[in-house]
Amino acid sequence: MTGQARLTVSAAVATLAASCAMLPLVDKSVWILQAAFLLALQSTAGVLARRVPLARPLTVAVQALTGLLLLTVAFAGEQAVAGLLPGPEVFHEFGQLVQEGAEDVGRYAIPAPATAGIRLLLVGGVLVVGLAVDAVAVTYRSAAPAGLPLLALYSVAAGLGQGSYGPLWFLAAASGYLLLLLAEGRERLARWGRVLSGGRTAPPAPGPATAGGGRLARVRTGRRIGALALGIALAVPAALPSMQGGLFEPAGRGAAPGSGPGGTTSVKPLVALQDSLNQPENRELLRLRSSAENTRDLYLRIVALDRFDGAAWQTTERPLTELPAVLPAPAGLAAGVRTSRVDTTLTASDGYAQNYLPLPYPAEEVRAEGRWRYEQEGRALVGERGQTTRGIRYQVSSLQVEPSAAQLAGAPAPPEEILRAYTRVPSSLPPVVAQTARKVTAGSANAYQQAVMLQDWFSVGGGFQYDTQVASGTGAEAVARFLAAKRGFCIHFSFSMAAMARTLGIPARVAVGFMPGTPMADGSVSVGSKDAHAWPELYFEGIGWTRFEPTPSRGTTPEYTVAEPSPGAEPGGGPAQLPDRTAVPPSAPKGTDACPPAQKKLGECRSPAAPVEGSGPASGSPSAGTVAGVAVAALAVLGLPLLPMLWRRRVRARRLGGPGTAPAAAAPADAPVDALAAGHTLAAWRELTDSAWDYGIPPDDSRSPRGAAARIVTAGALQGAAAESAGRVAAAVEQVLYAPRPRPVPGLAEDVECVRAGLHAAAGRGARLRAVLLPRSSARLLWGLARLRSFSRRRSAAA
Amino acid sequence: MTTYDERASLSSLTATAERIRGAVEGVIEGKPEVVRLSLTVLLAEGHLLIEDVPGVGKTMLAKALARSIDCSVRRIQFTPDLLPSDITGVSVFDQQRRDFEFKPGAVFAQIVIGDEINRASPKTQSALLESMEERQVTVDGHTYELPRPFMVVATQNPVEMEGTYPLPEAQRDRFMARVSMGYPSPEAELRMLDAHGCSEQASPLDDLQPVAHAHEIVKLVEAVRTVHVADAVRRYAVDLVTATRHHPDLRLGASPRATLHLVRAARAAAALAGREFVLPDDVQALAPAVLAHRLLPTAQAQLGRRGAEHAVLDILQRTPVPDPSAQAWRQARRL
Repeated sequence: MTGQARLTVSAAVATLAASCAMLPLVDKSVWILQAAFLLALQSTAGVLARRVPLARPLTVAVQALTGLLLLTVAFAGEQAVAGLLPGPEVFHEFGQLVQEGAEDVGRYAIPAPATAGIRLLLVGGVLVVGLAVDAVAVTYRSAAPAGLPLLALYSVAAGLGQGSYGPLWFLAAASGYLLLLLAEGRERLARWGRVLSGGRTAPPAPGPATAGGGRLARVRTGRRIGALALGIALAVPAALPSMQGGLFEPAGRGAAPGSGPGGTTSVKPLVALQDSLNQPENRELLRLRSSAENTRDLYLRIVALDRFDGAAWQTTERPLTELPAVLPAPAGLAAGVRTSRVDTTLTASDGYAQNYLPLPYPAEEVRAEGRWRYEQEGRALVGERGQTTRGIRYQVSSLQVEPSAAQLAGAPAPPEEILRAYTRVPSSLPPVVAQTARKVTAGSANAYQQAVMLQDWFSVGGGFQYDTQVASGTGAEAVARFLAAKRGFCIHFSFSMAAMARTLGIPARVAVGFMPGTPMADGSVSVGSKDAHAWPELYFEGIGWTRFEPTPSRGTTPEYTVAEPSPGAEPGGGPAQLPDRTAVPPSAPKGTDACPPAQKKLGECRSPAAPVEGSGPASGSPSAGTVAGVAVAALAVLGLPLLPMLWRRRVRARRLGGPGTAPAAAAPADAPVDALAAGHTLAAWRELTDSAWDYGIPPDDSRSPRGAAARIVTAGALQGAAAESAGRVAAAVEQVLYAPRPRPVPGLAEDVECVRAGLHAAAGRGARLRAVLLPRSSARLLWGLARLRSFSRRRSAAA
Repeated sequence: MTTYDERASLSSLTATAERIRGAVEGVIEGKPEVVRLSLTVLLAEGHLLIEDVPGVGKTMLAKALARSIDCSVRRIQFTPDLLPSDITGVSVFDQQRRDFEFKPGAVFAQIVIGDEINRASPKTQSALLESMEERQVTVDGHTYELPRPFMVVATQNPVEMEGTYPLPEAQRDRFMARVSMGYPSPEAELRMLDAHGCSEQASPLDDLQPVAHAHEIVKLVEAVRTVHVADAVRRYAVDLVTATRHHPDLRLGASPRATLHLVRAARAAAALAGREFVLPDDVQALAPAVLAHRLLPTAQAQLGRRGAEHAVLDILQRTPVPDPSAQAWRQARRL
């Protein structure tokens, strides 16, 4: 295979490798074969055009035309003239398909069905990127910039795929690009002559530079660097959770995003939550029929996220048990609380595959088809061996817990183990979260009041806006960001409220599931993909885990958090003691005072929710440690690029500062040079060659001092005094190195400076700047470090 | 250690060498490098092989060099029917004394010009081996010393020319250097036409007078031996020669004798430049002339038109000049 053919193939392979990142976006992968076939044809057209040879822009044009013809045949063959040539109808068809594709992309969750529109977008995209890569890397012979279209392709795929991205796709895309670079390097080398394999007898190796295996070793080193870079790119983000770009971790064990055949939807990964909420179409996932009088409190819980580790809220791994006939009593629920029994029959749609069973809380009895196991702490049912909710029907008997506000307010302190487990916050949680929590709940008398004040602040008083379009982020930083930006959706509200409750010492966790669906005419309730929801659960001793609803305009506010005019309240306790929550927070605009929170929450108040000034967490100042850390990091970032320059300056001063290099040595001209002066002469010589290197004349070991000086004079375009100075330094070093009794040569430092000035004058502006800021000879610093490393390694090996 | 006298003799060497060079260059125009190399070989007590196509002045150079020195000169025209005894000499029975008498051959001279040396059979060429290396001739069990200085200046046509035999490797190795005359520049050729174009007889050699005596040359040779060769330079010469033994394009590398010749020639070159020590530059400048004729390129290299000179240049480019400076510098910093 010729070099160019290899390059062409590499470009196509790199494009396809990056395209593989799109595979998880669509449920069927056949499109990639089509794309590969069309790309191969397009690349072949490029090969033929280059063989003719055509001018470069013409080659690209030929390829573009080929791509258009191929797309016409593949997607609009019926509209084409003679089944091949694109006429106006073809472009019209393309326009329609693209529009449909764009709509489909918005409509379907990932993985989307491969509709004609989506397929055109995918295949067309691959062809366009393939054309760009081929043109840049092969036609214009510059492989490195070809990474940009590849990166664009990968970024689009990764951006659409969000958290469902494994390292495999990145590895594929990066390997494709490396392959392209490798092929280009090989081809470039081949243009200079035969590429020798390392197996031949090599010339002797008196110095390390000419080692016979050097060429091979260099190739191997290059490959090692590539593999290392890939490894680091994969490993570092994994090791640094805070660098995750707001990726939602899959919310529980056995997470298999997008598992199952096409057309299924799973709400398990939290990303899917945002996806579901953003879909224009509300697909029905569950249909239920309940004996409850009022289904507006019938939240369906999937799982509880009880561990906040700084990166995300997650489910703690706990042992699963057999599903008992009657579930144990819910934790913390005492006898005095009013409860009513609710029987619910649920049917999951065929398109809903979830390996957790959505249940009302707290469920007492579950009769479900299939293999389900029980997790006690979170009261969740987990499918075993691939059991999902797809199409199953199940009955649940649950309790509807209706505590009174007084019971909640009078709840004793929770048990120690619950307190310990559910009030833990990561150390990375910005202090502004706790500060805001305290500020919002100022004046509260107990945990219940604090919880209600938090809920109302989020849902009504804090000026928060419900927005599913914001980037989801779940880490500790994301909480602070959300408090500052005041835009987000249920995840942000629930996560933030739970985190703030924990900082106040209230046990809290986040439940993920569905809010009450839409009542239908036949008395059943339909739960759709848009009902996916997350809400905080706070623990009150005697009542147990209690739902709160901080998300504005979503779900229903629990009765026990709404202040009612409590006529029968006994003095000294209960809701009457609650501060008037319509006045909370104190900074809330007066105009909204008359509006009860429940109404405000549902957006029934006409007055606009003005943002609260001064109460935003953005005003929280970062800690001194953060400031110091940032300052050190900034210094490091600024100082690091200056390191070569500073090192070079120091080295130059040291080399040229010796007495032997000073002018007018007092010794008689005939006296031999002592070892010290010889050392300084050699230092001056080294400085001269390094200065030349800085200005783009690399050192050449095969040249004698005289030859090296002559080369510096020629390559550096030195004239007059500078050229003579270079000759003088070379003569001095010849004396030191080769003469039986070297004679001192005075004024070498000046000579070196003179040569530097000459090089500087002859160099262009860019070369001058580079010689000062990024001197090439600072590579010696790296070499020195490498030598030191290998030396210490050898010594440790010997030890 | 160089003394004042040695330095003085070095300067007298330079002056004498300049005289000889001036004389030879009066005959061979426009080839200063060739003349300089011939002188270098003379001062290094080596033998010179001049190889080129016919008619470029090989014999003229040999004769001019011989004639500019006042010493005994013999010329051997190598022909296919030349016998070894024609070169070394022969023992003849003297009727009157009733004993064998040795009649010295053509090799008994201070400068021996072997013209067209590769037209004789290898058997005849081999007769030169002993005399060139050991400066003596052994005939019938008697060994006869050759006079000093002793130098063989041979000319030959490239092997591809008709009627030639390749020189045996052993003999090639005994020549210190091989030079190619090369065609003169158009200007030099024009000047040659102006001077000698009108008559065949008027040879420029006729005007050439000896400018140095043989015993002067012997003293100069001794002065050359005092030129200092630093360890780094010795090491460099050894590195270069060793590299020829491993080069992928070469089937036969250079011998240890080549290392000796290279360093001796470098000494002479340094002395000619008026320097009392050898530089790597001297070695580099002489390496192609001293090494190339001893090397045998592989068949593949020959097919690729990469000759021995190419290999030597390649080795020069790849072999680093030993850099004691790093070590010396470290030592100096420790002081």
